[in-house]
Amino acid sequence: MILHAKNISREYKSSTSYTHRVFNGLNLEVKKGEFVTIIGKSGCGKSTLLNIIAGLDSAYSGEIIVDDNPHLKGPDRVLIFQENSLFPWLNVVQNIEFGLKQANIPKKLRNATAMNYLKMVGLSDFAHSNIHELSGGMRQRVSIARALSLDPRILLMDEPFAALDTSTRQSLQNELLRIQKQTRKTILFVTHNIEEAVLLGDRVVLLSNSTGQIKKEFVINSPRPRDINNRSLKEIVSEALDELRENHYPNTNQEYANTISI
Amino acid sequence: MQTPYQSKGILKNKKLRKIDLKDLASTAAFLVAFLAIWEVIFLLGVFPVVSLPSPLMVGQSLLDLIQEGTLGYSIAVTMLRLFVGFLTAILIGVGVGLVMVKFTYFGKTMNSFAVGLQSFPSIAWVPFAILLIGLNDSGILFVVIMSSVFSIMISTYSGVRNIPPIYLRSATNMGAKGISLFRHVMLPAATPSLIIGIRQGWSFAWHALVGAEMLITTLVGLGYILAVGREFSNMSQIIAAMIVIFTIGLVFDRVVFTKIEEKVRDRWGLNQQSEP
Repeated sequence: MILHAKNISREYKSSTSYTHRVFNGLNLEVKKGEFVTIIGKSGCGKSTLLNIIAGLDSAYSGEIIVDDNPHLKGPDRVLIFQENSLFPWLNVVQNIEFGLKQANIPKKLRNATAMNYLKMVGLSDFAHSNIHELSGGMRQRVSIARALSLDPRILLMDEPFAALDTSTRQSLQNELLRIQKQTRKTILFVTHNIEEAVLLGDRVVLLSNSTGQIKKEFVINSPRPRDINNRSLKEIVSEALDELRENHYPNTNQEYANTISI
Repeated sequence: MQTPYQSKGILKNKKLRKIDLKDLASTAAFLVAFLAIWEVIFLLGVFPVVSLPSPLMVGQSLLDLIQEGTLGYSIAVTMLRLFVGFLTAILIGVGVGLVMVKFTYFGKTMNSFAVGLQSFPSIAWVPFAILLIGLNDSGILFVVIMSSVFSIMISTYSGVRNIPPIYLRSATNMGAKGISLFRHVMLPAATPSLIIGIRQGWSFAWHALVGAEMLITTLVGLGYILAVGREFSNMSQIIAAMIVIFTIGLVFDRVVFTKIEEKVRDRWGLNQQSEP
């Protein structure tokens, strides 16, 4: 077990006395080398979960255990964001070297590592380009190379392809699958696109809005590359859609219940 | 290796050079017209010669100042004062600006205080400086620092506060913390805003310096040449000194700051109308 999120709860306190609870004793286990996709409606805490696992959000209760070690810190879980998080004051290769520099890796090795991963995402020719000269898809490729260069135990991806057009998104999905096959990385991939989740994941985890726990899991064994028109995949997509549609307005129901109890 | 973007860059440079030539021609035309109008007014005798000498007389004055060695020495001393004052202002401004970011309430209070003092006329510091410090170089430096430190402070404060959180989150996630996070992320991320503040601070410092040199007479400096010219009703010398002051200001703004700003804007992609 490379990752065990144990009994995670997280509350958001707003300025009014109302507290919003996103998780309530959530448990998630991820095996080494597994590609897990997480889906759920907006507001269900998909991104929050990744932030907690990445160590960027510490206001939770519960335990994040990585490699059986509950106190592991450092860039062993690298997060790739939806929006551009590359630094505009550095060029492409300097961006990839950033994390390596923080780890005090010598310059030569740093550069060689960066170029190696830049090659993996097919952007060797753009090593010295400025970030603004790259398209959205190219930027996400650089983000992936930047994350991989740190050789993380777990790659966390927060809707990384959501802002891209359909064809770019498809080619990046294929590339991600190829890279995962090549590097055998464990990937935790959040998306609101059910088809994307089903196409990519070994396992699709559906988060619930109302209970703050995992609502359902789908294990997908069909070989890659997958075709979304495949019947068994289509069934999974529609089943997941049904699960998401249920209880569409949990907050309204809750409010209604509150009114009655008064 | 030639990428399509590099070749585009070369093209852009060529275009720039062409515009530069046109700029040069129009500047020359402007200068000639200006001198001609001045000469005509002089020949018509609108003002007495003592009040408005001809361009040639001013040129002679300028030559004299150069040959005496007064001008070179004055420029050197004035620039030295400017650099010492301005660098001190940058150190203090950036330092206090960062403390303001760290302590929220101090930051808020200090910010309104700094905004008020930023628009405070620099010359109005002179009597205070004379009585507090005296008629010496330190008094001049005090005025220069007080005039420029607040815009640098404000731009540091707002520049660091307005760093997109995604940069900090991403950097933290990749293991950056403490000094390194500051040095490699916060400082470069705040640079575009910092440059604007520093440029503004520079121009305030320059204004303040010449004013202070005229009023706090230390017997040397460009401002002192102006003061002496007034003392002896030597208009040629006054105009000659003005031309020198104008040129120094222009050179620094055009050559130093515009270049730095262009470089940063280019790297960040702030110059582009549309994204590729």
